[in-house]
Amino acid sequence: MVEVLPRSRPGTEEGRKSDHELEEARAREAEEETRGLSERAVDLARHFAGKIEVIPKVPVRSLKDFSYWYTPGIAQVSREIHKDPELSFELTGRWNTIAIVTDGSRVLGLGDVGPEAALPVMEGKSLLFKYLGGVDAFPIPIRAKDPGAIIETVQRLEPALGGVNLEDIASPKCFQILDELQRTLAIPVWHDDQLGTAAATVAGLLNALELTGRKIWQTGIVLLGAGAANQATARLLKALKCDMGALTVVDHHGILHSEREDIDELMLRNRWKYELALSTNEARARGSLKEALGGADVLIAASTPEPGLIKPEWISGMAPDPIVFALANPSPEIWPDIAKGAGAAIVATGRSDFPNQVNNSLIFPPVFRGILDAHAKGIPDLLALEAAQELARQAKVKGLTREHILPTMAEEGVFPEIAASVATKAVELGLARAKRSREEFLQLAQARMARPKELARVLMKNGLLPPMPGQEVV
Amino acid sequence: MSESRAARLIEEAAASHKETGHRITVRTAKTPDIPALAGLLVRLKRLNEEFDPLLKVRADVEKQAVTVLEAAVQDPRMLILAGEGTGPDQGKIVGVVRAALRDRVFYTPEVEGVILDIYLLPAFRRKNVGEYLLAETVRHLKELGAGIVTAEFPAQNQIAVRFYAKRGFRPLNSKHAKII
Repeated sequence: MVEVLPRSRPGTEEGRKSDHELEEARAREAEEETRGLSERAVDLARHFAGKIEVIPKVPVRSLKDFSYWYTPGIAQVSREIHKDPELSFELTGRWNTIAIVTDGSRVLGLGDVGPEAALPVMEGKSLLFKYLGGVDAFPIPIRAKDPGAIIETVQRLEPALGGVNLEDIASPKCFQILDELQRTLAIPVWHDDQLGTAAATVAGLLNALELTGRKIWQTGIVLLGAGAANQATARLLKALKCDMGALTVVDHHGILHSEREDIDELMLRNRWKYELALSTNEARARGSLKEALGGADVLIAASTPEPGLIKPEWISGMAPDPIVFALANPSPEIWPDIAKGAGAAIVATGRSDFPNQVNNSLIFPPVFRGILDAHAKGIPDLLALEAAQELARQAKVKGLTREHILPTMAEEGVFPEIAASVATKAVELGLARAKRSREEFLQLAQARMARPKELARVLMKNGLLPPMPGQEVV
Repeated sequence: MSESRAARLIEEAAASHKETGHRITVRTAKTPDIPALAGLLVRLKRLNEEFDPLLKVRADVEKQAVTVLEAAVQDPRMLILAGEGTGPDQGKIVGVVRAALRDRVFYTPEVEGVILDIYLLPAFRRKNVGEYLLAETVRHLKELGAGIVTAEFPAQNQIAVRFYAKRGFRPLNSKHAKII
């Protein structure tokens, strides 16, 4: 999810416009804003030619030190690992190294732009991994379209890696790839577009339910959009004992149900969505989003950035005190003030300039910090759920309100706590190679997450990291 | 097929329905059943279309399905079965079977029961239900004099291949096609 710079808030002049005019004006504004950022981003990309680099993490006093770091000394390290390959997690940087793998088939909202065009995005993700999580993440866009080829490529990379982050791979092949890699690799494999967004969503939802006095198993939830994020959200809701029969999924063909015209096509082409169609909507309700929302408690929209997709009168038709998550970026499916005006008790979006930002950056850095610190062998949905629950708990540190159901990115103390909880849960589930107490994991995470920020500060101060062009004289 | 999460979920779902036994009743179809049966038949034909472009359905497929079924329910050499839901789905047609008796002029057994179409709505597509529908079909065909039962379906339909293989069916004849 993108960070968007703060922008002008609705003023009195806007108040006189109709909801529809307001939505269109906002959408235009969001577009212009993005355009301005886009131009600058291209200039900066040209200026810096890459966002990350490899730097040593051992002292090099002279070339003599290479007798330890390289030959002849290193041969013994190699022999040790040959005897026990698991030692590669202790004697090398494998434990903190991940690959960000994409085939470039669904990059941001751009669609299938191919692996080269995905590279700048993966570099940016790598920077986020390092800056927020202290994780060494290598951008690896690969030239493959076929799920089998992508799976095989990642399998062959496993010996170098402590984890894998799949990114911007089209649905539904992303489900097959994640499943197969999670099943066959002895390192955690995560698909951020699925689990990162879903865990942040579920965290916000848990707090929103608490604030409106609801229990998850008695809550009527509508998911708008059946792509990567919402399918993972459905999985996490199931793990939370949500009543799946009472869950309604709506996509661009309307309400998903087991007798829909395209159901057999789904069985063949998207088994995950097929299974969702069979396990949800027990009443076999039919119709559009409007019908689905009638009397519902919660709407989680993770669809397309189309303001006005959700009509305010449909929100008014929901149960009293409804919860509305409109997560499309940069323009949410309905703007928060319009949703609130229609009766929504709590609104969340994907944007940083409104309260309650559902942001996958709240999740993936601490999740990876935690699983890497535990040298984890895998990352089942239960760990994603643990991260969601800890994120929800952490929102309470600053106090839970309808405008603060999730911590913001500025609440930095939150993230090592999530990392520690994830690592501890990995130990509990028997998935950790490195077993430590929660307190030890917390200290590790605090140090490892603070270091890259300190490093950047020091390097910027002494000029080793160049200034932004145009701001040379500070 | 890998033991993916989806496959596991489907198996779990199937297992959870096991204790309820078959949730349908099966009977010979009558004329009033035809509109509902035709709807299911069309779903099956559209599913077949997914497997092979040579199985592209005609624009008048709905009308054709009705015509074929109307003739078949009157034909002593055809078998049309209707699967009906139980409980809250009582009275709802959820499955269809279309089968034919054929004489085998060169081989024994001399009468073959051919399952041309078999379709269940997904919510009823659980292990035992499909198995029950097939068993009922075989029972009826045997009663009608068939000594061998065969099933026709698109060669690319691996789900059907596995379904029948599990129940003792094996490939017999091949049908190869090209557009001329």
